[in-house]
Amino acid sequence: MARFITRRLLGMIPFIFLVSITVFLLIKLTPGDFVSNYAASLAASGETVDDAMLASMRARYGLDQPLLIQYWDWISGVARGDFGYSFEWQQPVVSLIGERIGLTLVLSLSTLFFTWAIALPIGVYSAVRRYSIGDYIFTFLGFVGLAVPGFLIGLVLMFVGVSVFHTDVGGLFSPTYTNAPWSIARVGDLLKHLWVPMIILGVSGAASLIRIMRANLLDQLNQPYVDTARAKGLSELTLLVRYPIRVALNPFVSTLGFILPQLVSGSVIISIVLNLPTAGPLLLQALLGQDQYLAGAFLLLLCAMTVIGTLLSDILLALLDPRIRFQ
Amino acid sequence: MSGVMLAGPAALQSASEARLMWLRFCRHRLAMFGMVVVLLMYLIAIFAEFVAPCAPDKSNARLVFHPPQAIHLLDRADDGWHLRPYVYAVRLARDPVTLAPTYVADNRKVYLRLFAHGDAYRMWTLFPASLHLLAPENPRDSVFLLGGDRQGRDMLSRIIYGARASLSIGLLGVANSLLLGIVFGGLSGFLGGRVDWLIQRVIEFIISLPTIPIWLALAAALPKNWSPFATYFTITLIISLIGWTELARVVRGRFLALRSESFVTAAWLDGCGRGRIIFRHMLPSLTSHIIASVTLAIPVMILAETALSFLGVGLRPPAISWGALLQEAQNVQSIASAPWLLLPGAAVAITVMALNFLGDGLRDAADPHGQ
Amino acid sequence: MAGLGEMMFRTLATFVAGVLLAGPALAAEYHEAPALAALVAQGKLPPVAQRLPQAPEVVQPVQSIGHYGGVLRTAVRGDSDHNAILKMVGNMGLTRWSMDYSKPIANLAESWATNEDASEYTFKLRAGLKWSDGVPFGADDVLFFVNDLLPNKQFFQSPPSQYVINGQPMRAEKIDDSTVKISFAGSYLRFPWVLATPLGQHPVLYAKHYCQQFTPMYNPDLPKLLTEAHQPDWPTLFRQKCGDIEIPARWSNPDKPVMDPWVISTPYTGGGTQVVVRRNPYFWQVDPAGNQLPYIDSVNMKVIGDIQTMLLAAIGGQFDLLVRHINTINNKPVLAQHAAEGGYSLVTLSPTDSSAMALWFNETELDPKLRPLMRNHDFREALSLAIDRDEINDIVFLGQSKPWQVGPLPGDKFYNEKLGTQYTQYDPDTANQMLDKLGLAKRDGDGMRLLPDGSKLFLSIDAMTADTAAIDVAELVKKQWAKVGVNIGINTMERSLYYERAQNNAYDIGTYAVPSGLNATSDPRALIAIQTLDSRQSLPWVKWYSTGGKAGEEPSDSMKQRMKLWDQWKQASSEQQADQLFSQICALAADAFEVVGTVQGVTTFGIRSNKLMNVPTSMPNGWDYPNPAPTLPQQYYFAN
Repeated sequence: MARFITRRLLGMIPFIFLVSITVFLLIKLTPGDFVSNYAASLAASGETVDDAMLASMRARYGLDQPLLIQYWDWISGVARGDFGYSFEWQQPVVSLIGERIGLTLVLSLSTLFFTWAIALPIGVYSAVRRYSIGDYIFTFLGFVGLAVPGFLIGLVLMFVGVSVFHTDVGGLFSPTYTNAPWSIARVGDLLKHLWVPMIILGVSGAASLIRIMRANLLDQLNQPYVDTARAKGLSELTLLVRYPIRVALNPFVSTLGFILPQLVSGSVIISIVLNLPTAGPLLLQALLGQDQYLAGAFLLLLCAMTVIGTLLSDILLALLDPRIRFQ
Repeated sequence: MSGVMLAGPAALQSASEARLMWLRFCRHRLAMFGMVVVLLMYLIAIFAEFVAPCAPDKSNARLVFHPPQAIHLLDRADDGWHLRPYVYAVRLARDPVTLAPTYVADNRKVYLRLFAHGDAYRMWTLFPASLHLLAPENPRDSVFLLGGDRQGRDMLSRIIYGARASLSIGLLGVANSLLLGIVFGGLSGFLGGRVDWLIQRVIEFIISLPTIPIWLALAAALPKNWSPFATYFTITLIISLIGWTELARVVRGRFLALRSESFVTAAWLDGCGRGRIIFRHMLPSLTSHIIASVTLAIPVMILAETALSFLGVGLRPPAISWGALLQEAQNVQSIASAPWLLLPGAAVAITVMALNFLGDGLRDAADPHGQ
Repeated sequence: MAGLGEMMFRTLATFVAGVLLAGPALAAEYHEAPALAALVAQGKLPPVAQRLPQAPEVVQPVQSIGHYGGVLRTAVRGDSDHNAILKMVGNMGLTRWSMDYSKPIANLAESWATNEDASEYTFKLRAGLKWSDGVPFGADDVLFFVNDLLPNKQFFQSPPSQYVINGQPMRAEKIDDSTVKISFAGSYLRFPWVLATPLGQHPVLYAKHYCQQFTPMYNPDLPKLLTEAHQPDWPTLFRQKCGDIEIPARWSNPDKPVMDPWVISTPYTGGGTQVVVRRNPYFWQVDPAGNQLPYIDSVNMKVIGDIQTMLLAAIGGQFDLLVRHINTINNKPVLAQHAAEGGYSLVTLSPTDSSAMALWFNETELDPKLRPLMRNHDFREALSLAIDRDEINDIVFLGQSKPWQVGPLPGDKFYNEKLGTQYTQYDPDTANQMLDKLGLAKRDGDGMRLLPDGSKLFLSIDAMTADTAAIDVAELVKKQWAKVGVNIGINTMERSLYYERAQNNAYDIGTYAVPSGLNATSDPRALIAIQTLDSRQSLPWVKWYSTGGKAGEEPSDSMKQRMKLWDQWKQASSEQQADQLFSQICALAADAFEVVGTVQGVTTFGIRSNKLMNVPTSMPNGWDYPNPAPTLPQQYYFAN
């Protein structure tokens, strides 16, 4: 096991290197560069722009250098721990991301937790009580959650909230707590605002997990060993938990590794609509505006999370299912 | 389990596996219902030009944000009641202060007819025709069964035309993902060793690239002089090229588990080649999971297309798809005063549900251990 | 005897003189906000009379004298919306616009005088002005920019064109602490107008006593500072700390002294969720009762990423003033319908745009088959006649506008009827005839015209995805032109690609609003190809103009003539001469007819809370007039 882990960790380094090249190319693939984007956004708001300043900006940011040199400047900085400056905000990238990453993780992890906490029991119930009323109700609700695009629900919910309940629009904190230091009260305020995005983000994920869990478990429930266990006198619950569920969990654990980056990236749209101070909108803006150091650092971070997550999920898989061998 | 029924010496009835599946499927009523709905949806999409009451891009300044009209079936005329569907016409009266569009009754009935001649179209851009399933008797009238949008275009027609793009995106993308996922996942899981390692690294690599930036970058890199449909197919492929990895990884997991199953060893000992073992023996065990994933993948593709449109890189106006329609409804004005613009969401939901019921039924029917 | 009388007289004279001189300071009693008064009592701030200049500007409130207190809530959009902050609080220049956008008036400069040919301006700054940290503001600060920064090649690779005449940047000379003489290498009649716009704020943007530490000229220890701050060069560090007119960094340093009514307290950063500005204790304007402005304690600008979210917050009554982003005409119904509930009223934003949406035909079209058509006046005329502007007005602009081409709006002194109204009638029959005569009479099976060589006639219109009005207009135009047999496609794309394609000259027709319906000379981009990003009648022509003929493509004779007249206009030495030149430009543009307009700029609406007073019910909406700043938000106040 230990040898496996060290080998994988060593393999991560060239991998991240490869990822960084791809990330850099992707960012550069969008036409223009930060300066032209910046000029375009100003011009699109009807604001006149000074092209002498644009040219000097370009020279200052090194955007007129060949791609290879730009890439090397960036990656050598990253290796030293210097993630560069954001063109737009004129702040170190690290501080920008750091401001947002905390809440992003909170949102993503709580959504993950919510999704699993709901999906697994419901999936089990659906499989065990197949075709019952409960099964149909949950199926229906699950599909609704899956089918309607999250951002549309977001806007509709907010509209109802504003016009009927006069709630504060968006954000994860009430105005009084926005810049306050952390306290129990602030956590409570956060939780009060957190449940809307958590549900919107979680419901569609939960629906698919329910279906998969149900399908997998049904597969297992029809296996002969289940009949055997029943015949041997095990109670339904014990038998369920000890055998079929563990096997049915197999695919979940496979996908555990990249759920976190998926959540971060998938929550972008909802975060924009609900006006949440998470990393998603910052990333989107950096990409659209070609703020390359910010976007690059972000993407590298997401990829690193994936790689580590994959490793964790492989380990979990091995622990869960002793039939799997790796050599 | 081939159902060889040991009846008397008279007739030896046998049923192929496919027929058994069908029989089992028929018992699942919800799945039958789902299948009917899905087939209906695809038929509507194929014959969109005929089914839609009018052209989807027929705008009318006097009919913006037109509310939905209810069909009345019985018409009372001077000589008694007739079965003649009609709707009540309304007229735009814009509030001079708020500029909000309000509609007042026009004291006029617009009669509808089945198989009436309406707006001209080209069936599949080939055959000119003008027959519509349901249209106003007078071709100069308009009918808005599901309301009108901000340019006065009929939502029902637009949803019907949108079905074409949205439903086909699902099929194409999923087919591609499926192929790649099974091939690579199977190879990875079955062969193990170096092949597994390489494929896993490739998958990890693809998965760690976050979807949205890829979509943005690749969509932005598409040549602009391509027709909307060339663009759309390419975007579909791009989405599916990312999506296959999940299926591959799961398939690999199951293959790894199945590799040590007894029936595989038996087949191997029996002298079956690798290909035969994979496709004939191991793959059917995966069928149920594959089916579940596939039926869930089609709506995911539909929703992905919606997300892309929201970000401005998917199908954009004047192209019509459910995603593009929802994007047009994504504003406070629509939600507040024209909520019928959100109906494409209902279309998506219905399609998704129907597909899932269908998938359920197929999965249950394919399960060799099922009742 | 005589000596004593003389002494008495002199004492009396001195005493009287003293009283007279000290009069304004003693007689006027100034008041300040309670929070500031508390600080004065604690000894942390000098008394208000010492903080104000000797003769502070007396601002007439729009409605009534106000009282202190309150937080003004507004919003900025997530990405690159630093200009929203500028338009609310950052409008301090030597001059500023009169509230009705008719002329520049005194601001930081109390008055100015020019020499005969308007090549020298002597600005008399208000005596006793102070930066927000209490240090005096004067000629030194202006000289710091004009003489130290402007000509510096590291700071500006090439100096901003608004300060350059005849190839020479301006020079400044200090006459005394509050008098500056600025000289140009030629006539510059429009200088006070330029100083009133945002891009003319440079001379008073930088506080020498603070910003000099970031320059090599004044700080020998600069290299150390650079390494500490991880900045590659001093202009980057300078701009990070002291800002520039329109960069986010202008609002990210709370230590930077400003002359604005409010000072940054919570800066505008990438991760932030709000921007807060607080009262400037040294602000230099008062109301007629002697109250030091601003009335309002602070402005709280929430950072919101999505405009629909912003709109929702607005109709929920969560903002006190918002005149940006939500002010599209199709939001009016939803804003008006929720006004009572949300406790706000609508603010009329009168348009400064000439045309709300225009089609810019690319005169330097790359496709050789289309090029002769695009350059043909009759082709454009026919297509203009084939546009049903009433339909566009009804659908896209809710019937609130009027058909219009381009050019100065009626009521402006440069109004040219031909330029504004030619070919705006809907006449598809004449259009068909004209197109037939142009050699496009052959049509294919669908009724779409063919080019003389038999290939299909196909034009494409570029539009930005975010610009729903442009897309709607394009879709309607597509249907209308189909009726005369002209087939077009609509390319919607993201903003940066839209501009990229323009820079590569890779489009047929561009869609964009036409600015400068009022004050037409401030941005004549539709009349003369001089705007590098948006003169879409031909960007290669713009390049030809800006490089003096070395790059780009040579324009048509009419355009070359207009460019020459424009250069002469810039150097005109009298108002009359300037006006005559510009009228000629308008006439030439009318004859050439390069840009096809649809409807006039539309009146739009913002919101203001019912409790917020002294806000004009109507204000011009634009960029050169960066509303709401010229309506003096420092005199807004909250009623109880």
